Amino acid sequence: MLLGKRMLALVMVVGTVVTVSMAWASTDPAPAPTQSIAPGAHSYVPDAEKKSTSTADHSKFKELEGPFATGPEVTKACLTCHTEAAKQVHKSKHWTWEFLNPQSKQRLGKKNVINNFCTAVPSNYEFCTACHAGYGWKDQNFDFTSQENVDCLVCHESTGTYRKLPGLAGHPPYADMEFPPKSGKIVKAPDLKAVAQSVGKTGRKNCGACHFYGGGGDAVKHGDLDSSLGEPSKYLDVHMDKDGLNFTCGTCHVTTGHEVPGSRYTPTAVPETSAHMRGKDSKNLATCQSCHTNTPHDVAKLNSHTDKIACQTCHIPEFARGGKPTKMVWDWSTAGKLDKDGKPFKVKDSGGHDAYDSKKGDFKYETNVIPEYVWFNGTVNYTLRETKLDPSRVVKINSFEGSAEDGKSKIWPVKIFRGKQPYDVGSNQLLVFHTYGKDDSALWSNFNWDKAIEYGMKEIGAEYSGKYAFVETEMSWPITHMVAPKDDALTCAQCHSPSGGVGRLDNVPGIYMPGRRANELLNTGGWGLAGLALVGVLGHGTIRIFSARKGAKK
Amino acid sequence: MLKIIIGFLFGLAVVAGAGYVMMPHMMFHETASPFGFEETIARIQHNIQDNPVLKEHGWSLSGLRNPAKAVQTDGGNVLPVMMIEACSTKYSGPILREDTVRFLSILMPCKISIYKKQDGKVYIGTMNAGLMGKMFGPLVGEVMGKVAEDQKLFLEFDPSKPAPEIILPKAPTGGAGGAAAGGC
Repeated sequence: MLLGKRMLALVMVVGTVVTVSMAWASTDPAPAPTQSIAPGAHSYVPDAEKKSTSTADHSKFKELEGPFATGPEVTKACLTCHTEAAKQVHKSKHWTWEFLNPQSKQRLGKKNVINNFCTAVPSNYEFCTACHAGYGWKDQNFDFTSQENVDCLVCHESTGTYRKLPGLAGHPPYADMEFPPKSGKIVKAPDLKAVAQSVGKTGRKNCGACHFYGGGGDAVKHGDLDSSLGEPSKYLDVHMDKDGLNFTCGTCHVTTGHEVPGSRYTPTAVPETSAHMRGKDSKNLATCQSCHTNTPHDVAKLNSHTDKIACQTCHIPEFARGGKPTKMVWDWSTAGKLDKDGKPFKVKDSGGHDAYDSKKGDFKYETNVIPEYVWFNGTVNYTLRETKLDPSRVVKINSFEGSAEDGKSKIWPVKIFRGKQPYDVGSNQLLVFHTYGKDDSALWSNFNWDKAIEYGMKEIGAEYSGKYAFVETEMSWPITHMVAPKDDALTCAQCHSPSGGVGRLDNVPGIYMPGRRANELLNTGGWGLAGLALVGVLGHGTIRIFSARKGAKK
Repeated sequence: MLKIIIGFLFGLAVVAGAGYVMMPHMMFHETASPFGFEETIARIQHNIQDNPVLKEHGWSLSGLRNPAKAVQTDGGNVLPVMMIEACSTKYSGPILREDTVRFLSILMPCKISIYKKQDGKVYIGTMNAGLMGKMFGPLVGEVMGKVAEDQKLFLEFDPSKPAPEIILPKAPTGGAGGAAAGGC
């Protein structure tokens, strides 16, 4: 770096001198600019133009000729052929929003977990269930056994016109509607017949309809999943590169019977070391090792890292690289401020993103985020609503377990999302509050925390002391998408650079980093001893030479 | 006599060595920004655009370039870098009118680089215009001295002010080409 600066300085000085002499010496005209290839020209063929390999053209099916007035009507038609599909979906987390962790016995899933984004689903069903793979979940009485309430379209349609809006309990708009309310923007009601006839294999944009927009907007939640992965370039994701391998989500998340592997509730921190063999049962195919094994490098030294370093650590140098900023901080404690006219307001940051919203509080966004790194063995412990917390400390919504010593951990890159959210001062437990609704208790309507919390806690049947405050929270998200081309992986120096500067793994406990965490005294002593040995050898050699000459003279 | 020559050469070597070590720090400045990437850009832009002293000295924004974009288009991955370009015809004019130093147009417009480093922090890189100017005679020395003084105002931040919005150029100013919106 320093050398680079020196070179630049030298080049500028020398260049200036050379330019001076040339200014007097040469009057040759500059060469005419050559015509360049049009920027953006590439061999990309839009998905729609690619020839389908499916053996069925759903637009030719009588059952899908409609007309369809609602989503469930389409599902009924789907089920006439795909008789077992809804039953399979009923068992999946996309439907139940529930997961019992077999290790910790914690009951997780969206239905149960309180996070530090929009916090909790209960009391906000109509809004949150825009991302449920079903129709009509508007309160606790939702019928989870109904087959026709399964939403086939959200995962299988390919027109790009089918959109489930928050507030409609998982339904798409059946008539054109203004969204967001009072924005002047109109969302068209989808043509359900055309949408139904377009179904096929799940594509990137199907998964992305929810997973790119988690937490209330594009790129907000994950950091490594956003709409830039809809049509990504090679630099953004070497596997999903639209002009290259063009992977869909399902290429890695190989799905059987509507059960999608790759859960963040029980992530696979230390995958099997060999590649997946067809026919063999595997817990999770959505790992790098499933294809690449644990020793994919030509250089043996790199392979020797893979027992302790997750592939993602080196191969995802930053997240939110697609130009979409991800939310890094959400402070609920400032929500509820109103302007001088008593109306909610927003403040934009320098990039034009919300820095403050009366409904939600303060935010911070960032692009090209350098991950934090932690030891992780696959065990995640959640602070649930029932968990007692210590408000004097930062509450970890989820703790990634692992250490250098346990023999089953690897160093993983994570996004740590920081925020402040309400907790019950009486019971020292996280609170559920009512954000969205047409009633008088919703925070986003009346900006009254007391009412919103009271309503939310009543909804889940939990006690509330009546006093709340805000506690600092952190939530960790494993970074595993946006894999850069191999030339852009971290270099050795980014972890092993000598003292000074930055080392990516400086804050990871329990490791000795060769080249970086050197002991100056030990180094000086070592070099001193080596120097003395050299002096000794040279001295001894010199004496031997002179003695030999003396002996020869005698 | 030999001792004098050896002493002179030794002194020369020491000076050259010291110059080699110190030159990068003298020619360029790098400071950590207290703000995020976009906010740093926006605050510098607004300093240049709104500061009455700088206005009086003829400064205006002339571009915002993203050198990382070209690398990304080629499939490479680099941390964000943006270059704010600003120009004052009051300073560029005298240099551009003088044949003997017109080659210094290579340094125009004035650039401030904002970039992120591996530690996740945002940095501001500027050229030491004052020192550079001294190398090219009295005219350039005087002009660049004034530029150096104004550059300090570019980077005077008032954290009590809310984050302003980034000023996007009227025409795209990517890594390879660029359009001047004003100034030079």
